[in-house]
Amino acid sequence: MKRSNILFGLALAMSFGQPALAEFPEKPIEMIVAFAPGGGTDVAARSIAMFMEKHLGNGASIAVINKPGAGGEIGWTALSTAEPDGYTIGMINPPSFVALAVEGKAKYTMDDFQPIGNIVLDPGILVVGKDSPYESLGALVEASKAAPGAIVVGTSGAAGSSEHIGILNLNRAAGTSFTPAFFGSTAPVRQALLGGHVPVATMNLSEALPLVRSGDIRLLGVMSTERSPYLPDAPTFKEQGYDLIVTASRGLAAPAGTPPEVVEKLQAALKAAMEDPEYLKAAEEAEIPLAYLDAPAYRTLIDQITGELAETWKVTPWR
Amino acid sequence: MIDALLSALPHVLAPANLFAVLLGTVAGLLVGALPGLTVTTGLAVLIPLTFGMDPLFALGMMAGMYNGGSYGGAIPAILLRVPGTPASVATLLDGYEMTKQGKAAYALQVAVVSGVIGSALSAVALIVFAPSLVKVSLMFGPAEYFWVALLGLATVASLLGDDFVKGLIAAVIGLLIGTMGTDLATGTERYTFGRLEFADGLDIVVLLTALFAVPPVIRMIETASHQGMSKDLLKLRKEGSVLRDWRRYLPVWSRSSVIGIIIGILPGAGGSMSCYLAYNDAKRRSPNPESFGKGNPEGVAASECGNGADNAASLIPALSLGIPGSGVAAVILGGLLVHGLRPGPQLFSDHPDVVYGFMLQMLLSAGLLMLVGGLAATRIFGQALRLPHVVLAPLILLFVAIGVYAVNNAMFDLYLLLGIGVFAYVMDQLDYPSAPIILGVILGPIAESQLSLALTISGGNPLALVSSPMSMIIVALTLFILCVPLWGMWKGRRSAA
Repeated sequence: MKRSNILFGLALAMSFGQPALAEFPEKPIEMIVAFAPGGGTDVAARSIAMFMEKHLGNGASIAVINKPGAGGEIGWTALSTAEPDGYTIGMINPPSFVALAVEGKAKYTMDDFQPIGNIVLDPGILVVGKDSPYESLGALVEASKAAPGAIVVGTSGAAGSSEHIGILNLNRAAGTSFTPAFFGSTAPVRQALLGGHVPVATMNLSEALPLVRSGDIRLLGVMSTERSPYLPDAPTFKEQGYDLIVTASRGLAAPAGTPPEVVEKLQAALKAAMEDPEYLKAAEEAEIPLAYLDAPAYRTLIDQITGELAETWKVTPWR
Repeated sequence: MIDALLSALPHVLAPANLFAVLLGTVAGLLVGALPGLTVTTGLAVLIPLTFGMDPLFALGMMAGMYNGGSYGGAIPAILLRVPGTPASVATLLDGYEMTKQGKAAYALQVAVVSGVIGSALSAVALIVFAPSLVKVSLMFGPAEYFWVALLGLATVASLLGDDFVKGLIAAVIGLLIGTMGTDLATGTERYTFGRLEFADGLDIVVLLTALFAVPPVIRMIETASHQGMSKDLLKLRKEGSVLRDWRRYLPVWSRSSVIGIIIGILPGAGGSMSCYLAYNDAKRRSPNPESFGKGNPEGVAASECGNGADNAASLIPALSLGIPGSGVAAVILGGLLVHGLRPGPQLFSDHPDVVYGFMLQMLLSAGLLMLVGGLAATRIFGQALRLPHVVLAPLILLFVAIGVYAVNNAMFDLYLLLGIGVFAYVMDQLDYPSAPIILGVILGPIAESQLSLALTISGGNPLALVSSPMSMIIVALTLFILCVPLWGMWKGRRSAA
């Protein structure tokens, strides 16, 4: 008796399914974060989720679900296999998100995802200690060419991280042979650089801002097309004649096959959230390098990263 | 340092964080008072629950739990001659005798005041010494960290427990577990059995909880007593005031505090050792040592003060160098890691508010212990002893399961919890200690990755490992620690011969 009631209710709900779609979201949305609570990606997700709820309207609620592990692979695999109805979305972090697919380790490919939009673009940087003999990027590159393999670059990442791939690409672009040393996270590599235990290091721009400003470390180059508004005096690699772009992205994606009108709504909410004065103020105070890209532009960026990584993988596999 | 303390102070005094310390202290009292549950168990249950909370809220609860739990053990020791924690064994010698003489209330009062004094002085020592150790932090590169990790592993010897071989086996199990996961430098997966869940190795929270929280619960289920302690045993009568007799206890307090702090700082020592040493010292110096063990309140004072003084001090090497000296410190290190706080020199520069806040919270919880651990609360928590195990065990298991599930939102972790929990129980039944496992899991990977880094940086030259003065000092210290027991054995054999 009870059961048939439920079935009847389900049938009723399904028959009204079509018009209900127009009122997306009608139930809570889950946002998968492939990293542990408290990390950079988690904080970015929680803050954007709050503002997207506001701009989705309709009493929308977005629950951040942390599925950390295996460098993000667990969470991204979960996202790729989720029901493509718009009620499961997730944060993705190219290029490591892409690298796992390029090397064929992950069970997902880029075709399993529908980008919603980009939130953050944090360029890679190359830094040396304040007493370093390397005054410029050119001098460092020459030194590396003179002593192949001898100059060690500390990276905050592990094998296959954006920093590691950045070093590989630099070696390819500039004909150098820097040896990567993997510190696993940012704090220890900063410590080692300050103590003079490694001569050079690479990390993301946002992670080095205070130390660069205080003069404790010297920035040799930013791996992006344009100078950062947070450090307008720091030159890019491109300006110095090296075509190297390494950017850690944080953006939103849904499983492939999510209805276009739902993607449209999510993208509009993301855009509105990122234009919200309150959000902008908070991001500026925290010095988060925001860079909104809509779904097609984000897809283009991901495709571009995929192409570059595939090429690097062929020449110098990182694993 | 003063600046950092002042800037951390408002965070510590924020109502939510104050409440956290209070909550932790109360929970610690309860955990300590229940025989079978130790501070380590309490922390192991607590850490997964604090996941996703503000770090200072979480650490506040841990600080409270540590100080509260270490005093809580005195309650059943004095009232029932059952040590609530291993560290309260020396307390029961005189404490229970006092109870038999009808002076239970006074004994509890002595215990709480002495514990508070010890904990507070210990927290001050932590605040003073930990940051100054950090001043040398920039001298620590990969080579130095490698030796520090080895030094930590060498101190395992003193955590091994009664049976040397079993302790070593436990430590090796820890080292083996530490090898699981993805290699940082090559990306190679080791012992992951093709499962993504193992790609980062075993989750430290799951491991801690399974090792320390599950076995006591299984033991409770085993006895399945439907009755707690009888309420007639918990009658208290008020008499005397410790604070009025402060002159009598002052020498005991000051000596016991110093002993506890020194033992706490020494990596690997700590825990029950400080109470015994403090107790023996008080007995030796007393004009009438024969009164000890027959209800001399100075015995209770020495034991509890030494016990409290050990707490914060044992965090000095843990926070500043990342060496977990005692089992409890290892669990707290695990708790810090959970909140993204990598113990070691850079902790103080990267998260000054959190780390100074935590140290202040250790001090604060000592003060709160005076407040909530006073006689009234002691009476109330004495009542917890009356809870039958059939009620307690499922409650604890429920908390543990919720906490562990919340870490990764993965059912897989619950299976792991059960599997490792049963394994830990079997080890426990066979008298294998758990603390060396955790040390192995924490220190093994540090030693490995730092060795690999140091060799990468030096271009594969092993001499670079001992090229700095700091490295040489740590190597010498390690050799010293390894040789002390050998020397003791040699001496023992000579005197036997």
